[in-house]
Amino acid sequence: MKLFSETKHYLSVYRKFISTSVSEATSFRTSFILMIFMDIFFFLSAILTVDFIYDHVATIGSWKRPQLMFFISFMLTVDHLHMLLLSHNFWRFSDDLKSGNLDFTLLRPLSSIFIVFFRYFKPSSIPNSFISTGTLIYFGMQNGFGPTQWILLPFLVILAFILLALLEFIISCAMFWLVEGLGINFLRMQMQQLSRWPDFIYGYFTKKLLTFGVPVLLIGSGPVHFLLDINNWPYLLGMIVSCIGCFYFLIFLWNRGLNHYDSASS
Amino acid sequence: MNNLQKWVQTIKISWKRYTAYRLNFFLQIIGPSLIFFFIKYNLWSSIYSGEEGLVIKGYDFNQMITYHIWSFVVAQIAQGHTALNLSIDIRMGRISSYLIYPFNFWEFHTASFLGFQILQLGITCLSMTVFSLLGILPDFTLSGMLYGISACLYVSLFWYALQYFTGMLAFWLEETWILRVILQVITVFLSGAVIPLELFPEAVRSVLEYTPFPYLTYYPIKIFMGAPVDMLNFYGVITIWLAIFTAINSYLWKRGIRLYTAAGM
Amino acid sequence: MIITKDLTKKFVSYKKEEGMKGAFNSFFKREAVEKFAVDHFDLNIEQGEIIGLLGPNGAGKTTLMKMLTGIIVPSSGTVEIAGHSPWKREKDFRKKIALVMGQKSQLWWDIPSIDSFKLLQKYYEIPDARYNEKINMMGELLNVKDLFHVHVRKLSLGERMKLELMASLLHDPQVLFLDEPTIGLDLVAQENIRQFLKDYHAQHNTTIVLTSHYMADVQALCPHLVLISGGKKSYDGSLEKFENILGHKKSVYFTFNQCIDKTDDFWKTQDVLFSENCDEVELKLDDHEIREVSAAILNKFPVVDFHTEKMPIEKVMKKIMENPEILSGV
Repeated sequence: MKLFSETKHYLSVYRKFISTSVSEATSFRTSFILMIFMDIFFFLSAILTVDFIYDHVATIGSWKRPQLMFFISFMLTVDHLHMLLLSHNFWRFSDDLKSGNLDFTLLRPLSSIFIVFFRYFKPSSIPNSFISTGTLIYFGMQNGFGPTQWILLPFLVILAFILLALLEFIISCAMFWLVEGLGINFLRMQMQQLSRWPDFIYGYFTKKLLTFGVPVLLIGSGPVHFLLDINNWPYLLGMIVSCIGCFYFLIFLWNRGLNHYDSASS
Repeated sequence: MNNLQKWVQTIKISWKRYTAYRLNFFLQIIGPSLIFFFIKYNLWSSIYSGEEGLVIKGYDFNQMITYHIWSFVVAQIAQGHTALNLSIDIRMGRISSYLIYPFNFWEFHTASFLGFQILQLGITCLSMTVFSLLGILPDFTLSGMLYGISACLYVSLFWYALQYFTGMLAFWLEETWILRVILQVITVFLSGAVIPLELFPEAVRSVLEYTPFPYLTYYPIKIFMGAPVDMLNFYGVITIWLAIFTAINSYLWKRGIRLYTAAGM
Repeated sequence: MIITKDLTKKFVSYKKEEGMKGAFNSFFKREAVEKFAVDHFDLNIEQGEIIGLLGPNGAGKTTLMKMLTGIIVPSSGTVEIAGHSPWKREKDFRKKIALVMGQKSQLWWDIPSIDSFKLLQKYYEIPDARYNEKINMMGELLNVKDLFHVHVRKLSLGERMKLELMASLLHDPQVLFLDEPTIGLDLVAQENIRQFLKDYHAQHNTTIVLTSHYMADVQALCPHLVLISGGKKSYDGSLEKFENILGHKKSVYFTFNQCIDKTDDFWKTQDVLFSENCDEVELKLDDHEIREVSAAILNKFPVVDFHTEKMPIEKVMKKIMENPEILSGV
């Protein structure tokens, strides 16, 4: 019962987050349109890079064109969710920490993680939803997915998104300890870059580290390996375990960070 | 003489600003290039390990890695700078102080840019030493190195003009980072930083020849690699692009500053 | 309501050296500097009190405020507010307090304030009826109803401050922290804010902690004063007692149309201070003397202007900042 009312409370706040973000974003029309283009350029450059390489080779690792293209479109879909729901917040977080505007966030009777990372929704990414979902379905069909895979697909996208988000929140905690947190956003983006390629391109040691240590490779490679061959279920298990582990680690780290928070002006 | 001192002092201050947050500087400027190189190294290793003695469009494995090491160097020297501070100055209304100082806005930012470039050159030397210790630094001749670095420095001027252009638009736009990200994404892809331009479809390549993109990364890499590049054409084309953007920038500044003083921001 | 004991906050910062060489050196090695922003601070504030927290810039006022609101965690010592430890940041605690900062805005810059209010309503789970009632009541009291739909960035500072106050009072906080709420406002706007706070306090009996550099704020609102300097408490008591630190006598000033005779016998019995060109005097007088002595001066000398000081507190603050030892006897 308590869980129910809490959820309702958070949902009602989130609805307001969306409506204020929309009203804010649409008041800057040029930026809004440019951001749509930004998403599209990013999408095209990712897809075309792989496409151009396959003009010259038959396989990369063990994957042929349809498999790797499916992987890329899977990651683009996860990245798209990230763009839509989270991306703005990380930049605002480092600004707010520096300017001391985080003070007000900390006063609110809600989880500060929630307010910090879900405050800004990015409506200009909505058009890209159709492009990335369409591409994902197209390459899913090229791989001859059966009903099981189609049913699993949306859940796996969401699970991958959750893992990505948790890892990024964890990295962002470092901003509490730094005077200038902007650089952490670049670290975060580099981690994302690593996850945008299948795990088998990396050497033995790197692959182990980025799968078991900092599980960034599980974000995309985990679900795609599983979808392409259901026998790869340990990947799925690994993702679920990672999500749970990351969640508790995040809570721990976040609370340590808040204790360390000095607020900008004394 | 007096003016020179202003430039020198500004360069010094820019050094101090860049090194004030050292971790930040590393994560923002050097880190991304290193990770980018690391990914490309792994990717191409994986591609070439699939087939013994594979040669793609004239690149064997070693040549491909050489290409990407020089790509790292080019990115550091030619495309490291961003106009973030410049657009913040405009957005935050900090231009007023430049209108009062006996030192122009463009002089201040160009001096900062020069300071940044000197720093970047040092860092690049350091990374090349590290590459050579790791044994992956490609062979080079002294003249090839000098030709390559001067090409990069010339390209960096053009890159600065492009960045300056995005910064100038801060007079009209609330957020110019979007433009910079677009420029970055397009440049990385179309300048041959991820895959050499030879691997692009022929039609795309011939269109690209009419844009400045190949000159930003692809040709400087070729110069480092000692491939025959028409130097006259290379410098000529960049000079033309540089002139075009300098003209646009000075026009934008004149329009923008009128807007700025009229609005009394 | 608010109790602190030995409350302490220590900050660590790093020295920076000058010049290129310095930048290079500090890149590799930095020297740490410790600073006590708040140093063993004891405080006891009753429910419904308004206290003024005074002190020069950098004395530790804001740090203290931020520890009281739970934004930063104390290095040592204890705080208790309405039965909570602020730094634990319990949900119940956060619903009981509110903070207004004159230098920072909690309203979202690019949207109308009413949208911010509605978001806050959701944050604090304020029932619709109560929310509407509050919005109407305060909107009328502050005369800002027409501004609800204007983008915040287009408001004047005075208008924005009124809306900031509204935003923080929507959830009926038990304790209200005001950090320089009138900073940068014109005199009329300052007066409006003061009057509103007075009325609001009279109706709701909210405990209020206020910091300000404007003594007029303190004089008008705070019967209880706490002075902080160098992170330590240097005065804690009533406004009246504070005003009398420099003595009970009032200062009275007279200006004359020409230089007057300093050696006149009349001045010999008085505690008097002459201006340099002897056309102005300052006298220290007891309340009961004022009438008599003033009348005598007005008769005897060519007076063109005279006044008593309006805010003794301002003078006391100035004297204390120049010479903190004054307080050691109190």
